[in-house]
Amino acid sequence: MATVIEVKRQELPLFSSPNQGARFYNPELPRTEPFVPGHRTCAGCGPSIQYRMTSKAAGDNTILVGPTGCMYVANSSYLCTPYNVPWAHTQIGSSGSFTAGVSAAYEAMIRKGKWKGTFPNIICEAGDGSSSDIALASISGALYRNHDCMIICYDNEQYANTGIQASSRTPYGGMTTFTPPGAMIPEGKKLFPKDLARMMAAGHPHCYVATASVGYPIDLMNKVRKGLNFKGAAFLMIYTPCQKGFVYETPRSIDLGRLVVECGLYPIWEWDNEKRAYNHSFRPASMRPVAEYLKLQGRFLHLHKEHIATLQKFANDQWRMMGVALPPELVAAENPDTQADMSSAEMAAAVAQTV
Amino acid sequence: MATVLEKKKTVRMNGCVAAAQAAKYADVDVITAYPIRPYTATMMALAQMVANGELDAEYIVADSEHSQLSIAHGAASSGARVFTGSSGVGVQFAYELYAPISGSRMPVQMMIADRTLDPPGDFGSEHTDALSTRDMGWLMGWSATAQEAFDNHLMGYRIGEDRRVLLPQMVCQDGFFVSHIQGEVELPDPGQVKEFLPPYKHPYPLDPHHPVSHGPQIMPEQGPPLQLERARAMEGAVPVIEEIHEEFARIFGRKYDPWIEEYMTDDAEVVFFLQGAHGVTAKFAIKHMRDRGAKVGLVRLRTIRPYPTDRVCQILSRFKVVGVIETNLGLGSVSSGGVLYQEVAAALYESANRPLVFSFMAGLGGEAIVLKEFYWMTQKMLETQKRGKIEKRTHWVGFEE
Repeated sequence: MATVIEVKRQELPLFSSPNQGARFYNPELPRTEPFVPGHRTCAGCGPSIQYRMTSKAAGDNTILVGPTGCMYVANSSYLCTPYNVPWAHTQIGSSGSFTAGVSAAYEAMIRKGKWKGTFPNIICEAGDGSSSDIALASISGALYRNHDCMIICYDNEQYANTGIQASSRTPYGGMTTFTPPGAMIPEGKKLFPKDLARMMAAGHPHCYVATASVGYPIDLMNKVRKGLNFKGAAFLMIYTPCQKGFVYETPRSIDLGRLVVECGLYPIWEWDNEKRAYNHSFRPASMRPVAEYLKLQGRFLHLHKEHIATLQKFANDQWRMMGVALPPELVAAENPDTQADMSSAEMAAAVAQTV
Repeated sequence: MATVLEKKKTVRMNGCVAAAQAAKYADVDVITAYPIRPYTATMMALAQMVANGELDAEYIVADSEHSQLSIAHGAASSGARVFTGSSGVGVQFAYELYAPISGSRMPVQMMIADRTLDPPGDFGSEHTDALSTRDMGWLMGWSATAQEAFDNHLMGYRIGEDRRVLLPQMVCQDGFFVSHIQGEVELPDPGQVKEFLPPYKHPYPLDPHHPVSHGPQIMPEQGPPLQLERARAMEGAVPVIEEIHEEFARIFGRKYDPWIEEYMTDDAEVVFFLQGAHGVTAKFAIKHMRDRGAKVGLVRLRTIRPYPTDRVCQILSRFKVVGVIETNLGLGSVSSGGVLYQEVAAALYESANRPLVFSFMAGLGGEAIVLKEFYWMTQKMLETQKRGKIEKRTHWVGFEE
């Protein structure tokens, strides 16, 4: 057999800024912009904000994989591309597998002297429809086989590109065009979301797995770098609000990214694959009742008080899973009598018709 | 398994192992496997070669055929030479990927040891699996022996990776009849392969040194030029295929007509038209029928995509009757039999001397087509010649008097 060349890998330094600081400016951030403006995503698009943070953290020796979804359809237009690094579309069910192929190719090509350079960061940007539904097995395969790559689920809790349909990540009570509220089904979506990131951590404990939110950019970018530095597969699930599907005021994307965590609806954690344990040390600045998050979004404005109480109970369970002691106010909010119906249910229904 | 060879050497092996040997000689970088009979034996052989250190490649056990083809697509897009394969329903589980792989012009190679589709859950050979993908932009053809399979795999890489072509290849062989029956295979000297097959170098891989975007969304008016380009690549492959078969003959000493193999056709009046391994039995049957005075011959199609329309027209116009042996299912198709009939009939439409054409449904479910069936079919063709008119477009062999 021919000589085997050693594969050299990148080591990206972590940012020292505190998790919740540096909202607007941080001198440590790299200047490089692998994902440039000018694409066709909506104003305030959470997934594209995430895309910029992620690719900035990864740097220029990076290859991006884009399964079908918003970050494919709205970003790439033939003869015009927002990607300053190599990027390829793949099928929505191929997120993990195509990415694994890129990673395997570089392992072999570097080892056999067919490509010269340091092993690139290989990042797949899959939506939650891809990650939690159609490409679940494909991603599980990539994690199980531990290819050196990172799969990101940019989680906007729905199939947004196709016109707002429910995915396995759509929250209970979330209105989508496949889960509209009506007289028989007043809450809209009856099912609770698939706990995708915990599934990935539980099923592939040798991998780096974490959750993050666009509300906490430095935490997000550090997790990207930790995942990329890990020699093996990493999975990140990132909360990325969708203005079109959530129906909120465009400038509030980052606010929602914090509120969803402060309300306990999006636990932020890391799976420490060396210790084989969850790191639940991330704490938001405050804890709030879920209604404060729900009332900003048209997709929840049909909810009755019992539905809000149900979501509060769900959030409280998530806090408990994180080992967080609950203030009595949040426990009390599980009682529907302490809640009020969302006042604009009719307005929300009108919005649903226009989606 | 002894697979290390210094010089060229003739070894007995089945079609599956011959395909694996070809992948080894091609020094593939990434292999993706998923088990399904009968092609699995190819991947078993490759797994052993990788384990023994005879071949340096990433060997990936995928979670499905869909993932297999997606991995192959990703790896080929990055600049690696890729080998994959499947059989039967596995070929169809991966269906979504055939158009994107040819559309992105990635010369992935896929070995097919064909198999019936479900139902009835049968292991046997039938060409329907791969034929159902025939218009997806893959180069495609059937081998009739293990040696031919080995050669077609090597030529497949060379043709598909040619900058004038850049298309994926399905290198098909009949399940069991070729895949599991041993034949003599002459393995080349590595130096011959080095001369014939240069390293894979895609012009626009996913390379951080030279960033490119693959497969962005298009507007409707951007669709036709891209489709035209892919159609032209397929048409443009025709002279390249001929040129590379010549070069193969020069280096390895085995000469194939890339499109058609003819057997005892010089004075033939009626001919069988088929693909793949049943051609071997057909030759024996033809010899026997010739002894009894029947002017029968064989025309075996070696490459179905790109389809050699003019060659088929020119060759078949010399005969009075063409009996198409389908070995595939085209339910409700033109002839209400298989899909080869329409390929033959359409190619002959412009001929001034159209022979009579009809189909035989034979070799389905993995059944061997036995000599007496070939005799029966020859009889049907001779009767048709005498009558000057076909009896019907499709005969189900074994179900008629």
